[in-house]
Amino acid sequence: MASKLLVSVRQLSRLNYGSPCFTRAMSSITSATGSTDVDQKKDEHKGITISVPDKVDLSTITGVPEEHVKTRTVRIFVPAVNSMQSGTFNSRRWRMEFDERERWENPLMGWTSTGDPLSNTEVHFSSKEDAIAFCEKNGWDWFVEEQKKPKMRVKSYGANFSWDKRTRVSTK
Amino acid sequence: MKGMKVKTDSPVTRKAREGVMEFLLVNHPLDCPICDQGGECDLQDQSMAFGSDRSRFTDNAFTGKRAVEDKNIGPLIKTIMTRCIHCTRCIRFASEVAGVDDLGTSGRGSDMQVGTYVEKMFKSELSGNVIDLCPVGALTSKPYAFTTRPWETRRIESIDVMDAVGSNIVVSMRTNEVMRILPRLNEDINEEWISDKSRFAYDGLKRQRLTTPFVRNNSGELVATDWETALFDIAQRVKDANPATIAGVAGGQADLEAMVCLKDMINRLGSEVLCTEEAFPMINSGTDFRSNYVMNTTIAGIEESDLVFLVGTNPRLEGSLVNARIRKSWVHNEMCVVLLGAPVDLSYDYQYLGDSFSVLKEIADGSHPIAKALADADKPMIILGSDAIQHNNGSLILDTVKRIAKNTKKSLNHPDWKVFNVLHRNASQVGALDMGYKPGMDSLKCDKPSLLFLLGADADKLNNDDLHGNAGVIYIGSHGDAGAQMADVVLPAAAYTEKDAMYVNTEGRAQVGRQAVSPPGMARHDWKIIRALSEILGVSLPYDKLSDVRGRLAEISPTFDRPGRVEETGFDNVSDDVTIDKITHTGATAPVVPALLKLRDFYMTDPISRSSLTMAKCVQAYDEAEANPYSKPEAI
Repeated sequence: MASKLLVSVRQLSRLNYGSPCFTRAMSSITSATGSTDVDQKKDEHKGITISVPDKVDLSTITGVPEEHVKTRTVRIFVPAVNSMQSGTFNSRRWRMEFDERERWENPLMGWTSTGDPLSNTEVHFSSKEDAIAFCEKNGWDWFVEEQKKPKMRVKSYGANFSWDKRTRVSTK
Repeated sequence: MKGMKVKTDSPVTRKAREGVMEFLLVNHPLDCPICDQGGECDLQDQSMAFGSDRSRFTDNAFTGKRAVEDKNIGPLIKTIMTRCIHCTRCIRFASEVAGVDDLGTSGRGSDMQVGTYVEKMFKSELSGNVIDLCPVGALTSKPYAFTTRPWETRRIESIDVMDAVGSNIVVSMRTNEVMRILPRLNEDINEEWISDKSRFAYDGLKRQRLTTPFVRNNSGELVATDWETALFDIAQRVKDANPATIAGVAGGQADLEAMVCLKDMINRLGSEVLCTEEAFPMINSGTDFRSNYVMNTTIAGIEESDLVFLVGTNPRLEGSLVNARIRKSWVHNEMCVVLLGAPVDLSYDYQYLGDSFSVLKEIADGSHPIAKALADADKPMIILGSDAIQHNNGSLILDTVKRIAKNTKKSLNHPDWKVFNVLHRNASQVGALDMGYKPGMDSLKCDKPSLLFLLGADADKLNNDDLHGNAGVIYIGSHGDAGAQMADVVLPAAAYTEKDAMYVNTEGRAQVGRQAVSPPGMARHDWKIIRALSEILGVSLPYDKLSDVRGRLAEISPTFDRPGRVEETGFDNVSDDVTIDKITHTGATAPVVPALLKLRDFYMTDPISRSSLTMAKCVQAYDEAEANPYSKPEAI
């Protein structure tokens, strides 16, 4: 199994995660995703410390063509709830998606074709920091679109019947 | 009760749930395979999760299942009322959010029917939202009927450009076609609604499209050509033109990237004549300060306000979601609304001050009772419609409103509260002004441009008399509308669903729209067209990638670099001081009246909605409804 690296996201404060920023400087995040607390404890027991260089760029060895590293921008986001339904299941984890490339309709079957090998990538993350670290590691430009959460409002059923308020409902 | 144990998954609970589901389904048709809601139906989900795997419904003679006649409530919403489960969400939306008491119920028990009682059009600018609300397939989208299934489509989260609100939308795409548009939750802007124009005008993206470059030949006809010919034709025209009077006009739906490219290119050619179609008076500090031309309190800020003073605007049609927010505050926070302008139906009650400019002057002088009401209010808002300041007396109106805002601020308990707001109508306006475009085309008309670049400028506010004798017109845009008609060279560009582009809404919030489909035919992204053109003209723009263009945008203004956020405007005190008391109030002025008065005017306002068949049907249905002697005509 690949060696689990310590997740040490250093100098997080240098990056302003609160504001998605197109013209960010390349950060100095040191990271490797995929390790859990348990793994870390195990590593500590063994007394192994793996020091990771300041910036890990795997893009030279991932096999992703250079064109798809240098020219792509990743949007890191939480998928919006489908407004047709009440459920929220698919809108809990962070996802990444690449910028759209040309599609065309395949004349044989009418299916949509694309020359973009990354268009169907669907990677989920539990936090945006993980997603950012993943993009940094792979050498992609990224930007974060903040999660839009519904605001809960104080409501009362009685307001529908209050005789002197505008909340009174006439139509039934 | 204390110590109570609620079992949510015991055998008894499950059996009870199955029972409830059975009752719901007894009177619900089992037509999921032909239902448009199939795949995103709450009832379907519940029945899968909680329902039984078999039915005890044994009416094999088909006598007992409830059947209800379908209603005709207009060209947008398809009703299959047999599927209705009587949740009354649509009724509650219509009466509570949209403020249109058109829907209701009649009958009791299994005879209950949801509908309009007499057949009539559901006349609301937010009507499409009942399609989303409906948990079953009783209310579905008429234009979308039987086109796609939700699992076949790719969902692209984007931004709407039909008005200056910048609603967040989800574009559903299949086979390189926009299949439908749905709202996306953003509590700061559109909450969970979008207007009908945003939702249904998408079929305009497939009509009247420019798919190839055109060059006008000697006999005055536009002839289809290739990119190379068109670009070299432009190069020749630029060479022949006087560089100082080459002009550029940004239309209502132009994106930031294209606008910055056009501005940089024309500046490099040696001209400073760049303007927007929509005017904004350049009196006093003009557009130098951002606080002069954005909605300073933000849309969400409306909910904090206790008094809204609308001047020369019809927010219901100019920014439907802003109006929905005002209505929300009117209902729940007992907010007062005062209107000066046309007596339009805003879906809530307001105090009407007439449409005369003299009233505005009285308020500014403090002799009108509203001046005191504004001073006494905790967080008053003044919303000035951009349409009211389009005309010659616009500067006078703007100046007077700014004076009222300044007087109001003097007695304010909250020093940070900004009183003055502008509600724009065009998605591009605030971004263009941020970037340094001159508002309005008066200066351009004075300059008599020798060559004119129109960036999606389709408002038909220019004609050939405004140009220099044999001036050429180059149109870069998506639709064959007014702009392409007067052009000598037409370059086909992408519409808003076809490009990664940024827009700044009326609050000054930059947002990123995403590309959903590819531009049709030979059409290309707007900024790439201008970038390619600059190369041929010998003034190459120093950016090759979208991220480079956005880097350039960030150089111009930090607000472009923080998508999704509103940067608070500064210097409003300074701008007030510069602005106030520099204009002499002389002469009478025309009434302060917005252009969009009735719902009919709302449907077709831009090249996309003008090309849309659905929007045309809405106008037709509206006219028919108005002609119906038994329907209540719209107020005004």
